[in-house]
Amino acid sequence: MSVTPETPVLELRGMTKRFPGVLANDHVDFDLKRGEVHALLGENGAGKSTLMNVLYGLYHPDEGEILVNGEPVRIHSPREAIDRGIGMVHQHFMLIPVMTVAENIVLAAEPTHAGVFLDLDEAVDKVEELSRAFNFRIDPHAKVRDITVGQQQRVEILKALFRGADILILDEPTAVLTPQEADELFGILKTLQREGMSIIFISHKLREVLEIADRITVLRRGKKIETVPREGATEAGLARLMVGRDVLLRVDKSPPHPGEVLLDVDALSVLDDRELEAVKGISLKVHEGEIVGIAGVDGNGQTELIDALTGLRPAQSGRVTVGGRDVTNESAREHLDEGLGHIPQDRLRHGLVLEFSLAENLALHDYRKEPNSRWGWLRPGRIISWARGLLQEFDVRGGGPQTHASSLSGGNQQKVVIAREVSRDPRVLIAAQPTRGLDVGAIEFVHRRLVEERDEGRAVLLISLEIDEVLSLSDRILVMYEGEIVAEFTPDVSEQELGIAMTGGGREEAEATATA
Amino acid sequence: MIDQAATRTYTWVKIIHPRSIAIAGIVVSALGFWFVLPPLTQRTILWPVALGFLGVAAGIWAVTRGERRLGWIAVGLGIASMGLGILATNSSVGHLDSVVVWSALFASMLRYATPLTYAAIGGMFSERSGVVNIALEGMMLSGAFFAILAAEKLDSWVLGVLAGAAAGAGLALIHAFFCIQLRSDQIVIGTAINFLALGLTGYLFVDVYGELGTPADIPRIPDVTLPAISDWYFIGPVLGQLNLMIWLSFVLLIVSYLVMFRTPIGLRIRSVGEHPRAADTVGISVYRTRYASVVTSGILAALGGAYLSIGFVGSFNENMTAGRGFIALAALIFGAWRPFGAFAAALLFGFSSALAQRLPEYSGSAATLFQALPYVLTLIAVAGVIGRSIPPAAIGRPYAKQ
Amino acid sequence: MSERQTTPDPPPGEVPSPAARFALFQRAGGIAAPILTAILAFFIGGIVVAVTGHNPITTYREIFNGTGLSWFFEVGSHQVGLPWSDASIWFPWNVNDAESEAAFNLQQTLLSATPLIFTGLAVAFAFRCGLFNIGGQGQYIVGAMVAVWVGSSWAGLASGLHIFLAIALAALAGALWAGIAGFLKAAVGAHEVITTIMLNWIAYWIGNYAFGQGGPLQNKVNESVPVSSDVVQNAKLPILWGDPLLQGLHMGFLLALAALVAYWAILNRTTLGYEVRAVGFSPEAARYSGISVARNYFLAMAIAGLFAGIGGACDILGWQFRLGVIDVQNSQIGFIGIAVALLGRNTAIGVGLSALLFGALLNGTSTRNLDPEVFQPELAGNLTLMIQALVLLFVGADILILWLFSRFRRLRRLPPAAPTTPEAAT
Repeated sequence: MSVTPETPVLELRGMTKRFPGVLANDHVDFDLKRGEVHALLGENGAGKSTLMNVLYGLYHPDEGEILVNGEPVRIHSPREAIDRGIGMVHQHFMLIPVMTVAENIVLAAEPTHAGVFLDLDEAVDKVEELSRAFNFRIDPHAKVRDITVGQQQRVEILKALFRGADILILDEPTAVLTPQEADELFGILKTLQREGMSIIFISHKLREVLEIADRITVLRRGKKIETVPREGATEAGLARLMVGRDVLLRVDKSPPHPGEVLLDVDALSVLDDRELEAVKGISLKVHEGEIVGIAGVDGNGQTELIDALTGLRPAQSGRVTVGGRDVTNESAREHLDEGLGHIPQDRLRHGLVLEFSLAENLALHDYRKEPNSRWGWLRPGRIISWARGLLQEFDVRGGGPQTHASSLSGGNQQKVVIAREVSRDPRVLIAAQPTRGLDVGAIEFVHRRLVEERDEGRAVLLISLEIDEVLSLSDRILVMYEGEIVAEFTPDVSEQELGIAMTGGGREEAEATATA
Repeated sequence: MIDQAATRTYTWVKIIHPRSIAIAGIVVSALGFWFVLPPLTQRTILWPVALGFLGVAAGIWAVTRGERRLGWIAVGLGIASMGLGILATNSSVGHLDSVVVWSALFASMLRYATPLTYAAIGGMFSERSGVVNIALEGMMLSGAFFAILAAEKLDSWVLGVLAGAAAGAGLALIHAFFCIQLRSDQIVIGTAINFLALGLTGYLFVDVYGELGTPADIPRIPDVTLPAISDWYFIGPVLGQLNLMIWLSFVLLIVSYLVMFRTPIGLRIRSVGEHPRAADTVGISVYRTRYASVVTSGILAALGGAYLSIGFVGSFNENMTAGRGFIALAALIFGAWRPFGAFAAALLFGFSSALAQRLPEYSGSAATLFQALPYVLTLIAVAGVIGRSIPPAAIGRPYAKQ
Repeated sequence: MSERQTTPDPPPGEVPSPAARFALFQRAGGIAAPILTAILAFFIGGIVVAVTGHNPITTYREIFNGTGLSWFFEVGSHQVGLPWSDASIWFPWNVNDAESEAAFNLQQTLLSATPLIFTGLAVAFAFRCGLFNIGGQGQYIVGAMVAVWVGSSWAGLASGLHIFLAIALAALAGALWAGIAGFLKAAVGAHEVITTIMLNWIAYWIGNYAFGQGGPLQNKVNESVPVSSDVVQNAKLPILWGDPLLQGLHMGFLLALAALVAYWAILNRTTLGYEVRAVGFSPEAARYSGISVARNYFLAMAIAGLFAGIGGACDILGWQFRLGVIDVQNSQIGFIGIAVALLGRNTAIGVGLSALLFGALLNGTSTRNLDPEVFQPELAGNLTLMIQALVLLFVGADILILWLFSRFRRLRRLPPAAPTTPEAAT
């Protein structure tokens, strides 16, 4: 088969990939034309990264075909992908922090003196040559851990270019960049495109995709929905494709009767692990008997906010008050004792001790108190019988008080976590990603339960990446973007509008009108 | 209460720069020296030696962690303090005598340090690739035994050295298989290898040589005599007649430095130890690299043992290595996983062994306590290592290909 | 998880904590796995014996005869005296060691097992908190040193008080010694394997120094012998079974059994043990629940050292009565404790049985018991070391096999659940 200018440089046909319990890619078709920027758009969990990992040889497909320049190929490892001219810039960079930029770029393809010694000078020259060609401005001698994230990303791109890639895959590249760095990246991509590179750009951000892509393919829940050209595409239209008209699990709930303020956050600033401000002076209030939902894309400071609210991370400045008591910077234990309940977003690593029995897990916060123990001596009989009651009340299936937590399904595990938190009668309940990884029935249960807790008079703060969930449960919706609360909505806001706010869009118009 | 103490210690240790350590080393060395001069004029050798020693240790620590200038000053001052201290307390003894003492000490230091050097460099290869190797002791011991066994039975020290190396490689293969392939816990397996070596060599030793032990006339690794410099002042007695293995250890130092930091092989080994997944994604075989590194470490540690039995001592006893493998590991950590740093630490620890042989002449039981010094230093060194910024980042974690 | 990160994330769930691995293994393997491990180790040991020209069957039988375990099979009709009275009742086994050689051997076996229980617990307790305590040897020696010092001083003290003081101070010494490593781990994250190994050697040299020529704890009677003073009569532990002059089984054995119970009780019935286990299984979940990980690291090591220290005291006050440089140099009890704990899967019953096995092995291969015609004791001693090594190797390996096995089983049993790795979910 002859290669014509129309032959796609890359084609995926019927790609299918299964993981235990989930169909990540469902017969997806995708093609990439030479010299185009093709965006792969979808929500978290839509299957975008999986598809590209299969292409790059990190996963093996269950079904499907890959064609490069019209020729069917099998890619079993990243090495083979690289040999075929496919380069990938991952979400989590594959760079070695203690080594220099030059060393990282030439790793496994090193130039040598007489075949024995490393020729780092030549490596540096080549890196400088490439940087100049694409206007990158990278210092080859700098150690990777000392350069900014934006620069690290450029190093990743150079890595691919160094190995002669002509297809470049970028996985959520702007997730870790500031807006300025993102603009610089787009400039680089345009330059690369001019030089003949074909680019696949994975993202969930509508605005960017419209800026950079020639064509856009939308994935939803593992299936390809549609491929649209940039002309004529709108944010609203794309949002509709992304989110779809699926059945929304709207919970029946009575109108809220908010009472006094139970959670009061005042100008809270929190630093992340890299000592940069992840939460920038946030203020919010949650009242008794209401559910406040924080919507936002992952990585905009939600984790740090939760950590500060629960005492796992110190606050840089600001105040957190629970039920009138100032709990800023107190320990996690003190927070729990002051009436804060927390359903962590990672139930396997943070919510449960998997090797403990259900009873022991249920006692995880209160094992030191009566009646579970006295003077340091545990009373297993009490702990077990109390657990039995809770397990029944919350309809936990898969075992009894003595069963190990690891044997339960995800949904039942989450029920145990919720049972523990709720049975302590907290004044404020923080639920982070409460339905992550759960099936429909479990999701329904969790949602109903959260509303019940609200009706009991608790203040519920829901932080979720799922738009559906936030819309369905919240009495008030806040949108978090880059460490700040950028919008507040009522539950009847449209998904499109919410999605736009979540991805930082619409602010320019608001700013424009503000300055006008 | 423990929490507060822990947090305070953590913050305090974080503040300790190599620079501060170097300055402390200079101060300590100067103190030791000052003790001996009027008006304090201590007659015991203990103070200048101990303080000078600590000064040298602090200096090496600082140099290997980047603080070059002050670190080297500390080292120099420490050595001076020790030397002048000894001289001052023996001022009645003739000048020539002191030189003899010192040159003998230095030669002795080299001899004690050499097994440590081999093992420490072996350890570097393994650990830099991400596999913890606390079985250096066992590999060294097996090298010592099998070298002497083969040398005696086959009447050739060359075959002895080869046999020792093979034994080390064999043990290393077991270590590698369990740790890399089966992803077992590396510490448990390392401990097992040590016991295995101890039991196997002891068993075979008793079985083959019984009560009488190894015979007296075993082919030994020859010394290298350099007649040209043998008469030189001070250098002569130190370098004029050193064992072949000692000279080879210098070569090993240079070669290992070049390989690890100047060749593609070394770059790949280090990448596997820092971020195996990144290395995997550019096509480096993590498993193969780790296997090769661990086997290398076995061979090198065994060579150190072979030197011990058929180069240095000339016989074998059960558990002959007596913890040297662990001192080598300590030297490696102390030297920040770099060959010259580890070598300097090995020299330091070798010096302390050499000194401990001599100290009984001056101060009886203190000499025994002095033997604990390498371990105390390493304890402090490890306490100062925070997070994973200094050892290879992925060390100790088994790697699973998906 | 915030996506703004520069350091590589370890693949989630890749390597469970040591405590979790052992626990999983425990549950999945039951009692069969340790027995199988032991059998396999002995089998390979037998191969070594055969390959070097000896008869493994007779060797093992001869060793077994020396252990006294055959005593349990010699059921007959005998009398045993009741304590604190002259009466005697019927008892199926012959406790008169002058008549029954097996009884005497059993005494010695239990005598050897006693310190192994303590050092085994020292390793096991730390493992339960996710820590590797390789420092049992140093902690044991430190305890022994303090015990011999206290036991040989203050000759006028009442017996009970003297013994109590010696054991208590020895326990404290062991706890402090291990606590150094625990504190360093808690404060700066120093790897406890390195620190405990270093502490072992420091204790070794302190011991050499203390009892050596001119050392502070050397006996004043014979200055040429590098040995401590003798423990005074009042401080010696009472003998339970056997002839005091022939090194009978002392009260330390009961203390060891009590320690096993205490170990179980602390871990499973106290809030401290609850925290230790939580931290051992999942430090992150413990932290999220307000448990102080640092505090538990310290306490777990300290308690582990406490056990080892008491072990040292029991040996000194029970049958050794003095400590010399040679003893410090040749002692291996702390190291055998590692194999004891691992073979026993860090449980109380496991450690007890495992200590019995290794105690039997030590006794059966000793020069006193093994007939050199059949198999040289020196060879047998080294054989024991090899068997320990093999046990450790197989413990290390079968963890993985069982882990895979359990994963496989879990996959088949549960209804479709979401993938647990974030990578797969995107």
